[in-house]
Amino acid sequence: MTAAIRTRELSKDYLVGFWRPRPYRALDRLSIDVAPGDVFGFLGPNGAGKTTTLKLLMQLVFPTSGEAEILGRPLGDVSIRRRIGYLPENPYFYDHLTAEELLDYYGRLFGQSAADRRQRVGKTLDRLGIGAERRLPLRKFSKGMLQRVGLAQALLNDPEVVFLDEPMSGLDPLGRRDVRALILELRDQGRTIFFSSHILSDAEALCTRVAIVAKGRLAASGTLTDLKEFAIQGWELVMAGVPPEALERVRARARRVVTIGGDRYAIDLPPDGRPEELLRELTAAGATPVSLNPVRETLEDVFVRRVAEMGEGARS
Amino acid sequence: MRGPAAAAALCLAAAVALHAAIDRWPAPAVDTPGLLYVRSPEAARRAALSYRGIAADVYWIRALQHFGSERLAGPGHVKDYSLLYPLLDLATTLDPYFSIAYRFGSIFLGEPYPGGPGRPDLAIALLKKGLAAQPAKWQYMQDLGFVYYWHLHDYHAAAEAFQRASEMPGAPNWMRPLAAVTLAEGGHRNASRALWTELAKSEEPWLRDSAVLRLAQLDAMDTMEAWKRAKDQGLNLPIPNDPSGTPFVLNPATGGIIVSPQSKLYPLPGQLEPPR
Amino acid sequence: MNAIGPVAAAVFRESVRDKVFYNLVLFGVLLVGASIVIGQLTAGQDVKIIKDLGLAATSLFGLFIAIFIGINLVSKEVERRSVYPLLAKPITRPQFIAGKYAGLLLTLLVNLAVMTVALYTVLYFLARGIPAPIQGAWDAPALDPALLKAVAMIFLELAVVTAVALFFSTYSSPMLSAIFTLGVYVVGQFNAELKRFDAIVDSPAAIAVAKACYYVLPDFSRFDVKLAVVHGVPVPGAFMAASAAYAAAYVAALLFGAMVIFARRDFK
Repeated sequence: MTAAIRTRELSKDYLVGFWRPRPYRALDRLSIDVAPGDVFGFLGPNGAGKTTTLKLLMQLVFPTSGEAEILGRPLGDVSIRRRIGYLPENPYFYDHLTAEELLDYYGRLFGQSAADRRQRVGKTLDRLGIGAERRLPLRKFSKGMLQRVGLAQALLNDPEVVFLDEPMSGLDPLGRRDVRALILELRDQGRTIFFSSHILSDAEALCTRVAIVAKGRLAASGTLTDLKEFAIQGWELVMAGVPPEALERVRARARRVVTIGGDRYAIDLPPDGRPEELLRELTAAGATPVSLNPVRETLEDVFVRRVAEMGEGARS
Repeated sequence: MRGPAAAAALCLAAAVALHAAIDRWPAPAVDTPGLLYVRSPEAARRAALSYRGIAADVYWIRALQHFGSERLAGPGHVKDYSLLYPLLDLATTLDPYFSIAYRFGSIFLGEPYPGGPGRPDLAIALLKKGLAAQPAKWQYMQDLGFVYYWHLHDYHAAAEAFQRASEMPGAPNWMRPLAAVTLAEGGHRNASRALWTELAKSEEPWLRDSAVLRLAQLDAMDTMEAWKRAKDQGLNLPIPNDPSGTPFVLNPATGGIIVSPQSKLYPLPGQLEPPR
Repeated sequence: MNAIGPVAAAVFRESVRDKVFYNLVLFGVLLVGASIVIGQLTAGQDVKIIKDLGLAATSLFGLFIAIFIGINLVSKEVERRSVYPLLAKPITRPQFIAGKYAGLLLTLLVNLAVMTVALYTVLYFLARGIPAPIQGAWDAPALDPALLKAVAMIFLELAVVTAVALFFSTYSSPMLSAIFTLGVYVVGQFNAELKRFDAIVDSPAAIAVAKACYYVLPDFSRFDVKLAVVHGVPVPGAFMAASAAYAAAYVAALLFGAMVIFARRDFK
């Protein structure tokens, strides 16, 4: 089965410096495979080379060496662009066009007929929750709404593969939840999703497979369960209104308890600390749960450790 | 934000008041020929890029203003027409087809002081420039003939010019007889009258007015001579009015009458010989 | 091929909404104001002067539009990164360039058309009431169809200027592009002088360079038939056709050059 996306030793050097330009390696021999129907998380800290990879795939920049294919066709094949969608990071469009006009414009580039465009544009804007604002000029849109428009234009042509660069950026928690639901919906429709993010929890909720990049290099790739990096190292349970006598029991089981103002406490539990049990007990005692989050390593920590594990020589 | 707004209004009012006040002290007069902007016609042509037509119009308007203001200035002002030729030269370099500029120049450059700069040579130069751009324009050749005839009294050159004009396409029928009359009678008043009568039919209003004035002057000269002849024969006719309605005055030097300085016809053209 | 149309339409729409056509208001005010004022000043030359003014203003305003929209055509999209989602669509980079150019050309065409109508209207009112014999003596009639030839040549000239601006816009900042484009325009106006350089300068090397520049750089002065049209000097159709071909050759060269530069550009 052809990979939906495949890169082989894909590299990109930029020349930096004015007087004697020297190459700066933004991406170093990236080789990944994304199977059709995958929700592929392309993770890494800021400046890791995620956006560079996406731009290479979109032919916005050209590789210094290496190759890549989308749906079995090499980069540079313009016809493939009918079958993909792309959301850039922090999208910006045009001051004077409305959201509707923008999508209509792009629809024309796809060669859609006028009637087809009308129907698709309406449907896509509806799905992304853009109502009457669709007739406002884009310069009046907030960052979150621009993000939605960006998603809309990425989905306008019913793409088989969808590329999203930081899709959650600029969205409030409600918006992020909507986008997550959208991505799962796209997956259920059989599309391939390739998205980049620097937020680990996004990957957790959505991805079948991930790759981690940092400083232009691939640090790890595989399914979530494969990667030990994502193992839980502890839990953070935040409760409010914990009665004093319950607090003593909590201190016995927790590694650390921090008071966050008033009667709110952040309870740091070990990985096997059975947080759900503690949650039930404290709720029964009259406290209110605020949040429960797993604690993992940061992506930077992961990469530093990986590189140290593999030794300096292995990847030079 | 009322403070800055009030301050802005106040400062503007102060600027306006200051402007009105200092207007009473004119800027120091600099002794440059005013408002040519560029002296050399070639430089003007280059500077104007592809906007030569409108630049020529600007110089044309300036020429009219200059000539008009000098001509109409009161007795205290020393008339100085020195800008007229440069302005017309600029206008016609920028727009070589600018026929009215050539023709205006031909008439008024030759006008003797104080009606004009008294430079028939410049009029000829301008007309020759016009003919270089449009060799078949009979009006320029006619004007050339006029300058030779009226201002330079070179009747041969005038007749030759009229003859060449008559051969150009579109020249009117009266050109050829005019050439003949000019040759035959030279400074004869009838030849002049014929020339001016034709020019009085021109489509340019200022040319018409000039011609009508000249004809009135010729009539005045006829009247003056008739009166003098009558007086020489012993008839003391009363002093008549000249064709513009102002009475003649006695000329003590000749014993005859002459056009009054208050008359519109003053000064008369100088050296026309009496009829033979 | 059908990607060019939507891009052009988008450029036109952006220009309209960016209120570029307000310059027409200024144009109209200028013409009407001038026609009222000049009657006193010009000894019967009103019609000629209004034609001169109308054509000069058409050329000048058009020049500003061509330069100030042209320099932003590509650079603004790249700077604002709206070019990212656009180039991810089924559109090639050359189609993008061509579409941008076509859109600005369309804007210019509409602008020039409105200005021409305004000019003819003012001329109509100016010439009304002037008796026929005087009108007969004019170099050219007031409502002279030959004015359209002058406007057509202005359009050709602006087409080349737009292409120059677009060309620079593919790799320079707007400020530099404006300076370069204006520079090319001014030098192009003087182009004819370069041919006669040997009359001014002695050095054979300088003369050779000047001659080379004369042939390579666009000669904008050949698009200026305003004087001829205003004075009723005929402009032959062959001359117009040759000028159109000349303009087309330059436009094509500049557009292909822009496409080459744009094709391998990394959008950082």
